[in-house]
Amino acid sequence: MDSLITVISRKRFRTGWTAFIIVFFLFFVILPTVYILSYAFTNWGSIEQYVLDDPDMLDLILKSISASFQIAGIVTVIDILVGLPMAWMLVRKEFRGKALLDTLIDMPLAVPTAALGFSSAIFFAITPETLQAPSFALNAVSSPFLLIILLHVVFSYPYMVRSLSAILIQIDQTYETAGRTLGASALSAARTITLPLFRAGLVTGIILCFARSLSETGGTMIALATMANSQGFQTGPTIIGMWKPLVEDNSDLAAPLAFVSIMLILLSLVLLVIIKLVIMKVHLPIGRIWPRPEKLFSRGWFPKTKDGLAVFFLVLFVLIPSFFIFTYVGSVEPTSFDWGPFMESLLFSFLVAGVVTVIDIALGVPLALYIAKNRTGKLSEVLDVLVNVPLIVPTAALGYSLGVFWTGQNIIPTYDVLLIILAHVAFTYPLVVRNVAGAVEEVDPAFEETARTLGAKPVQAFRRVLYPIIKSSILAGAIMAFTRSLGETGATQAVVESAQTAPVYIVNLIKLQTASGYYTAGLACIVLIIVSFVFMLALRYITNRRSR
Amino acid sequence: MPDVKLVGLRKSYGDIKAADGLDLEVKDGEYLCVLGPTGAGKTTLLRMISGLLAPDKGKIFFDGKDYTRTEIEDRKAALLSQTYALFPQLTVEENIMFGLDIRGSDEKLKEQVLISMLDLVRLSGRSDAYPRELSGGMQQRTALARALASGADLLLLDEPLRALDARLRISLRTELRSLVKTLKMTAIHVTHDQDEALVMADRVAVIRDGRILQIGTPREVWDEPATPFVANFVGQSNFFTGEVLQSSPYTLIRTPEGTVLKGRPSELRPRSMAVLGVKIGNTDISKERKGYLKAKVERIIFEGRNLHVDLMMDNGQRISSKVPSWRKGKISPGDVVDIYWEESKGTVFPMPPNGLENELKVE
Repeated sequence: MDSLITVISRKRFRTGWTAFIIVFFLFFVILPTVYILSYAFTNWGSIEQYVLDDPDMLDLILKSISASFQIAGIVTVIDILVGLPMAWMLVRKEFRGKALLDTLIDMPLAVPTAALGFSSAIFFAITPETLQAPSFALNAVSSPFLLIILLHVVFSYPYMVRSLSAILIQIDQTYETAGRTLGASALSAARTITLPLFRAGLVTGIILCFARSLSETGGTMIALATMANSQGFQTGPTIIGMWKPLVEDNSDLAAPLAFVSIMLILLSLVLLVIIKLVIMKVHLPIGRIWPRPEKLFSRGWFPKTKDGLAVFFLVLFVLIPSFFIFTYVGSVEPTSFDWGPFMESLLFSFLVAGVVTVIDIALGVPLALYIAKNRTGKLSEVLDVLVNVPLIVPTAALGYSLGVFWTGQNIIPTYDVLLIILAHVAFTYPLVVRNVAGAVEEVDPAFEETARTLGAKPVQAFRRVLYPIIKSSILAGAIMAFTRSLGETGATQAVVESAQTAPVYIVNLIKLQTASGYYTAGLACIVLIIVSFVFMLALRYITNRRSR
Repeated sequence: MPDVKLVGLRKSYGDIKAADGLDLEVKDGEYLCVLGPTGAGKTTLLRMISGLLAPDKGKIFFDGKDYTRTEIEDRKAALLSQTYALFPQLTVEENIMFGLDIRGSDEKLKEQVLISMLDLVRLSGRSDAYPRELSGGMQQRTALARALASGADLLLLDEPLRALDARLRISLRTELRSLVKTLKMTAIHVTHDQDEALVMADRVAVIRDGRILQIGTPREVWDEPATPFVANFVGQSNFFTGEVLQSSPYTLIRTPEGTVLKGRPSELRPRSMAVLGVKIGNTDISKERKGYLKAKVERIIFEGRNLHVDLMMDNGQRISSKVPSWRKGKISPGDVVDIYWEESKGTVFPMPPNGLENELKVE
């Protein structure tokens, strides 16, 4: 043991290890994620032939991609409008049931999007007879565009509330109090003093929501398959999911698939940059104050109505749709079903998620340490930006790109399982890195430095001093990676056509559009929800213990 | 116990030179205080000695051996930081034992060291407490015990008393020094507090802009400052500029107004420009006695033991004086008084090349 510590403490070994981690990150995470972009250079001819010169194809692709971006945009705006009052309430107000509300907000995060898609579609959409939706379902939405917006709000809303409240907690309330003692009404003070300090949280929230909405595949496909008439509506990721299984027999689809992926990757990255620039740079004319109306809105019925509406929205548009599946499964006529395949797929999902999480931790923590400890270095700055790329790129495009990358190389064998694991590592790896890097940055470097001057080798200083402090963040990152992997549909489908993870299995069941298919899918969703919920509770337990 | 020698250490961050050709020798078993204003390069100096920071140029020797590139953990130089950096997840006992644990020392030795350390820093009753349950003074003593128990020969103290309240800070000064002396360690202690440095150090090194300006016993640094900056930073001084008339047996300087002032002998050439510095505590004022200069009392601040008197001279220059409080009733604002000092208390410096004002600036 001692000699091992000595060996890995050598400068040369440490340098080599750091280099290995960075190479892994660039070669196994970043490069495969964006590899498909090179298709535009090597195969421009086929893109012209199969996409640009085929008006029907081009029209379909552009329509679906623009639908994706419109939906993501609208969803983000809705999230901000209804998320802000909710975040404000959770952070700044004291009321009975606050803890409950706080937990309720996170509940949709525990539900895999595939289950959410099915559940909310049953609640909102006009559904076919065979589904036997309960009579008290809303049963009202006939536009697929609107349905997808509603669905995406359901699962992105908690992200917005969480990002906003996280930053709101950090903002020192004394500024606002000072403003109020100087005569500003509550609304004026909040609007002119606190909101401008808010930009960072808003950027994170917007990017998270936008990226999640843009990326969502499984839930969207399920919602479209569940509604009575989806009018052939597609988003960018669902097109990839639809074509990928066909491309083996019909190689004409390779170019359109690459084209969709390229568009999604490029546009999402460009948008990321624009959002960052616009929000951080644009100067809003918030200096103006309207004392009289703002004073009026600061007390009496207005704040109460606002809070009431925020809670009403949460219940009707987020919570009920999330868990409607339970009432559906409870009310519908049971049909015979075969648990076998589902359990197999669930087991497979667990296996993948487990392996992915182990890889994320083993190779993500070192990168996080490197980034956090070399903040001033150019390389670390670049890595820090690159880490966000797989979070922003829609996972379906990421999966397709990764599949093309690895099957085109002869470096590693391309077993399906391996490809799925690599794809899941690509989009979960940043979760661990960002979580851990954030935690490490908050730890006073003096701890490790002092340990070193007391005679600890670098490995010992990490294991004995830093690791115990950031342990809970590593665990939190691991659970996030695990649940994300467990719930992922888009990347899985796009990397390997025959993949049988639990969410993909549910998607395929619903696509059958039979009564027993729906029923089995419903039960499968519930199992998935319960499993994810257990992990969610574990996560909350851990993070609460940390903040104590 | 090592002696430490630094030769020509250089370290810059962009344009800022945190170490600009630092030379320093610390004797075996010496308690050295490095005194300087914020941003003078004190912490950089400690970090380079401990190995946390690699110098751009220059060498570090412990006992004559080159340690410049030695790994941090192999230097036996324990750092005691401002915040103490007590490991939050470990108890007092576990913190103190950290160094020995890491090195895999045997249980018997550990037990012995622990008992003697707890005894030494008077924490025997609190060995199971966690750092957050301790008072500031106890935390400080735990951090010290941890550094001492690690088997380090050299103790590097980075403003170790800064986070404590004033009374405790003063009582811990002597305690800290005597602990280090008992264990015969070499200590390098950086601080921006001149009182702390003067009370604790065997020798004081005054540092500014990454360079050592003067190193000497507290008395030497106080009474015979090497530069106007040292004269002003270690105990405030009044400065008068003028032309040298003679430099021995005592120095005479003629101010632009024609007044002749007296100071200690120097090696300045006649007719060169010079600065005469007098500590404000040595600048006396009187209504009866004839002095070198006249000045009007602007205000008097009662400081308990002393009175701090701000004065305005005829040429518009402001100076200060510190006199015992019992003279309170004898002077009042508006009085015109005579200024004088004993010639042995006036130190003469050549005019700094960048002018006096730049020389005295503390960033």
